[in-house]
Amino acid sequence: MLINQFLLLGAALFCIGVYGVLARKNGVLVLMSIELILNAVNINLLAFGAMHQGPAAITGQVFALFIITVAAAEVGVGLAIVLLIYRNRTSVDLSEVDLMKG
Amino acid sequence: MLSFVQPNIDYHALAPELVLVGALLLILLVDLVFEDRARWATSSLAGLGLLAALIPIITLAVNGHDRSMFGGAYVVDNFALVMKAVFLLAGYVVVLMSTDYIGEGDYYEGEYYFMLLSSLFGMLIMASARDLISIFIALETLSIPAYLLAGWRKRDLKGNEASLKYYLLGVFASAVMLYGMSLIFGVTGSTVLTDIRDGLGSGESVPIITVGILFVVIGFAFKVSAVPFHTWAPDTYEGAPTPITAFLSVASKAAGFVALLELVFIAFEGHEEVWKPLFWILAAITMTVGNLIALRQTNVVRMLAYSSVAQAGYMLAPFAIAGDLSGGNVGAIKAVVTYLIIYAAMNLGAFAVVIAVARKTRSAELSSFGGLFEYAPGLAVLLAAFVFALAGIPPLGGWYAKLAILNVLIDASTPWATVLAVVVAVNSVIALFYYASVAREMLMRPVADGDRTPVTIPASLAASIGLCAVSTIAIGVAPNLIARFSDLAHFVS
Amino acid sequence: MSEFLRAYLTVAVFAAFAGLLIAGVLGLSRLIRPNRPTPQKLLTYESGVDPVGSGFSQSQVRYYIFALLFVMFDVEAVFIFPWAMRLELYQVFGLVEMAVFIVILVFGLVYAWRKGVLRWV
Repeated sequence: MLINQFLLLGAALFCIGVYGVLARKNGVLVLMSIELILNAVNINLLAFGAMHQGPAAITGQVFALFIITVAAAEVGVGLAIVLLIYRNRTSVDLSEVDLMKG
Repeated sequence: MLSFVQPNIDYHALAPELVLVGALLLILLVDLVFEDRARWATSSLAGLGLLAALIPIITLAVNGHDRSMFGGAYVVDNFALVMKAVFLLAGYVVVLMSTDYIGEGDYYEGEYYFMLLSSLFGMLIMASARDLISIFIALETLSIPAYLLAGWRKRDLKGNEASLKYYLLGVFASAVMLYGMSLIFGVTGSTVLTDIRDGLGSGESVPIITVGILFVVIGFAFKVSAVPFHTWAPDTYEGAPTPITAFLSVASKAAGFVALLELVFIAFEGHEEVWKPLFWILAAITMTVGNLIALRQTNVVRMLAYSSVAQAGYMLAPFAIAGDLSGGNVGAIKAVVTYLIIYAAMNLGAFAVVIAVARKTRSAELSSFGGLFEYAPGLAVLLAAFVFALAGIPPLGGWYAKLAILNVLIDASTPWATVLAVVVAVNSVIALFYYASVAREMLMRPVADGDRTPVTIPASLAASIGLCAVSTIAIGVAPNLIARFSDLAHFVS
Repeated sequence: MSEFLRAYLTVAVFAAFAGLLIAGVLGLSRLIRPNRPTPQKLLTYESGVDPVGSGFSQSQVRYYIFALLFVMFDVEAVFIFPWAMRLELYQVFGLVEMAVFIVILVFGLVYAWRKGVLRWV
């Protein structure tokens, strides 16, 4: 089996996700970009698991399952925070959230 | 078809975590069933739960066996026990600080302690995790409640901003870290740290290993707020409720360091050439940038935030000299653990006094501390003690922490380690300026608004300040106390 | 060309054939059908009655909480399916572990219920 295609797909998704996190101003789109990165990780894990076969294949799949559930929890919390900001400011534009300049 | 072997579960080893989960579910139930009538009890329940979780840690320590479960993924050794005790005690002090702060404000109370204990639960798992999956789960269990706690002031725009920045950078960092983990899993075909060490070998690093290690380390550099990944820290610390700021700057940072110690000194042990230069640069710029920016701050919480960034730099220094020590990497691990324990006592104490003063002045601006010595001499002396301890002046605890770091750097006796030791020394002098400015403000300056009514301190807050003060001074006067604990704290791998 | 990529060549040929078929059928019908545009034909189809208001509407923010609850409990099912597939293999141990897992999930549901989130107001 060739693993390169899967890794390239994963790397491409990862890059698109990182670009989205850095360039997007809309809070919801940033969350979607983070999901892209996590899915890139899942593709990598499944491909590597299949490459190694045996117990490692199961390990890769189990890792991916954990990432899926944790990602759902993370996005739930993230949406709650974005919603809170929308309620207080009626906008989800992240570039406006700059009361403090680190 | 794989057959199923029932895992052998050692309930004694899991007892601290089980007690903590029991306590946090109990808090949730009490909050739901009794609602407003018993909300005051949730803070006591949280404190008692944390103390109860300490009991099995003591019995495990007395018992002394290293226990390993789930194919080496979950290990209870002396390192894990020492760190778990630190997390639980730090959590207890934070609960003491929060009791009146949360009770008097317009906050959700039951949920607050539920979240705090959930986060601590993640930290306990982190101390025992010896597997990429458990490290990831522990990291998320401790981070997700922390994102919410940072924004606990719901109506406050700064609180929202604190939460959002912490969340976005935290999630982004953990996503990057996961990508690195997936590459490392790909090379080795295992997620257990010791298997990864064997799988990676110690030869020349192929690029995929380099990228994997780099991404994992950078992911945790966000967590410990190392420069240049620190930008969330000051804003989050300023916008979050102050007890949570103390919690994040001590417990959450310690958890990041625990994970780094586990990953770097077990899994990536054979690939020093990848991470040693990285840690050298991270340590040097983290302490320098943190201290230089702290000099310019006019808000005490922001100043302590940058100071905690700089302190992370000192703690990163022993990573940069691994492999150069005569006695192996154990010395570096001990130095980091020593620093973490002492830093926890000093920093929690400083934040506790800031909370106490802000009860009267409603502000954390440096000017609002003017003339504190005139109307609250006790608090002023204690705050001075904590900041001078952070600066590393004997006989307060901090000097021993700095000494431990400098000792390993000099012991390594390579040119790079010596340069780093000089950087640490120079930074300690720079840091003295801003720590002293707090003391000068309290002693020399007039009272800002002329209001000289004494500060009233509730009993639990006083207890938290007392605990931190006693341990800071005790460690400074008799450093053997702490040396005995950190001697225990190394891995069996 | 490797075996792996040759397998994808079949897919590409199939996709190209499907595209040609659709283009051919649509093109043919365009040639033979009459063409009489009226403004009514451009209206949004809404079950036969005349449409009201604009086509764009934001969903209520209240849906968020339901969506969130659904997602939370939905993804937890990820852990239950593999367990259910091999239930008899894990025996009592698996049953107890899953019971613990589900009880902790139920705590979340009880919380949502007591906070009145499940009621539509």
